[in-house]
Amino acid sequence: MSQASALDLRLPIGGLFTAIGLLVGGYGLATNGDAMYERSLAVNINLWWGLVMLVVGVIMLTMGWRATREHHPASALPAESTPEGLETERREHRKGLEH
Amino acid sequence: MDSLRMAHLAPIDYAIMAVYFAAVLVVGWLLRRLMRTSTDFFLSGRSLPPWVTGLAFISANLGAQEVLGMGASGAKYGIATSHFYWVGAIPAMVFVGLFMMPFYYGSRARSVPEYLKLRFDEKTRTLNAVSFAVMTVFSSGISMYALGKLLNLLLGWSFDVSIFASALIVLAYVTLGGLTSAIYNEVLQFFLIVFGFLPLVYLGLKAVGGWSGLSTQLAAVSAARGFPADAYTHAWRTMGDASQNPIGVEWFGLVMGLGFVLSFGYWCTDFLVVQRAMAADSMTAARRTPLIAALPKMFFPFLVILPGMIALVLGGAHAGGQGLIPAKIDASGHTVLDYDLATPMLLIRLFPTGMLGLGLTALLASFMSGMAGNVTAFNTVWTYDIYQAHIRKGASDAHYLWMGRVATVAGIVLAIAAAYVANAFNNIMDMLQLVFAFVNAPLFATFFLGMFWRRSTGHGAFWGLLSGTLGAAVHHGLTLPAGGSIGIKGGYLGILHTYPSELAQTFWTAITAWTTCMVVTIIVSLLTRPRPDEELKGLVYALTPRPRDTERHFWQRPVTLGVIVLVMTLMLNFVFF
Repeated sequence: MSQASALDLRLPIGGLFTAIGLLVGGYGLATNGDAMYERSLAVNINLWWGLVMLVVGVIMLTMGWRATREHHPASALPAESTPEGLETERREHRKGLEH
Repeated sequence: MDSLRMAHLAPIDYAIMAVYFAAVLVVGWLLRRLMRTSTDFFLSGRSLPPWVTGLAFISANLGAQEVLGMGASGAKYGIATSHFYWVGAIPAMVFVGLFMMPFYYGSRARSVPEYLKLRFDEKTRTLNAVSFAVMTVFSSGISMYALGKLLNLLLGWSFDVSIFASALIVLAYVTLGGLTSAIYNEVLQFFLIVFGFLPLVYLGLKAVGGWSGLSTQLAAVSAARGFPADAYTHAWRTMGDASQNPIGVEWFGLVMGLGFVLSFGYWCTDFLVVQRAMAADSMTAARRTPLIAALPKMFFPFLVILPGMIALVLGGAHAGGQGLIPAKIDASGHTVLDYDLATPMLLIRLFPTGMLGLGLTALLASFMSGMAGNVTAFNTVWTYDIYQAHIRKGASDAHYLWMGRVATVAGIVLAIAAAYVANAFNNIMDMLQLVFAFVNAPLFATFFLGMFWRRSTGHGAFWGLLSGTLGAAVHHGLTLPAGGSIGIKGGYLGILHTYPSELAQTFWTAITAWTTCMVVTIIVSLLTRPRPDEELKGLVYALTPRPRDTERHFWQRPVTLGVIVLVMTLMLNFVFF
């Protein structure tokens, strides 16, 4: 029953979106005004969509990071080996649905 | 081939792909230590929260063939393609969540075929397990072949390199982290597909003047093809008469064939999707899995069908093509539209460097999620339902865990082989898909009777399934779609009836198979000895206590969620009536 706490799924998703957001958004910033944006109807879709993905990525990272810290208090045993840890996990699952 | 490629990728596009590949591999790597027992590997230790299993539930189904195929159908049939979601998926997903999951999850069966073993007998299970295992291998092979062809056409990549590279990545993360890794990556891929295609739909609609602009232009296409002006932009209005809509089917065939037999047969019995729900951490979570999946699923038509419709009217036709869709020469030498290219062509047309990399990565992600879904379902059914049941009983758990990893490698190698077979003999694959349709169509009758009629017996189920498949073959052999020639399209037993379209024929083939299976199962069951009620507890509706929902809030209960999903779907049908 330890898997959900071992790797919060929001961390890799957040990391991926942050990285892609930076790449695409940064590229959009660097190429702003380029002729290739005629293709996307004069919208710098790289810049705007890159920003959207960056925001989504950072939100996911923050949520995942907070949940992970709740699971593993610095001094305690691995969360899954204590009854409190198991209880936290259960609560976490329910919380997961609401996001 | 270099001169034929249609798009050029820049370093930034490759960088985006590389980041995605790294992410899926890291997930597999981080999860590898958790795979201690076979239950961890095949069932994720039944420990995942429902929003994760729910998104994986639709993502495993959202393969490249779905993304490309739905775009193609959007261009062929218009918004009526959304029947595949609103009629052909959502009701069945609600049904499996509310009524069938208690038996799948509650019986502690480890796979769908194993439920058949518990409920009926070994031979019914083996029949289902073997046909399912063969199908998963071939369908991932077919989808691999489609991907290799597409990447070769669009980017000039080598067919071999595309196939081997993508297969190797899936192999790596599934072998490392088992079902959990597949499911985690499916959720990641789900987000990537959504974020890759949303801006495509936005730009596409902007380019054609919004929904009203699209409607006006599609009305002209519709009239030119001999249908009423609103046939492409209204889902139901022209369904009264098969000759008045591009699908070529009337509402009864659609609702019974697609909405009932095919849809329930797939969503309620296919282990590929049911396995995701079985990985959930509680009965309530398992029941909520398909319901949570249904919420985004009902909006997918806007993501995957609209691009096809837009590609049909956006200017820039190639010689003989229409809109963005190029022409090709089909097997019988006719020039036809290459509908499968509708979505990729729109991607290339509207996305600049950067977003193009993201769009193609989303396409790769959809391919990988579909492939990983097939592979994880295959390794489980092989290990539990074939290897453990017939080849080596009673080995240690560590041995079956090892077998699971071997089966993953073997499944992928076989799928690659199937992709090359598809490349060499295109007709063999068409034939196989036809056979799969025959095998799948009667399945829901067997499960329905098994779960809700305690009198049904193992002999009844087995012979019902076989005769259902036979019934499908006979119906297909006696009918032909308009314009089709005798052979793979049907008619090989003589022609009793001609359908206006291939889809109409498919729907009625499924209806025939289901009815045959239902009738034969009932007759044979009544002639054979039923199992005592004692043995059927937890497996049959009448002998199982109703699941009690443990959720505190009423809106978290499966029933509430199911009602919300159905009402929303109904509303979508009215909006696009």
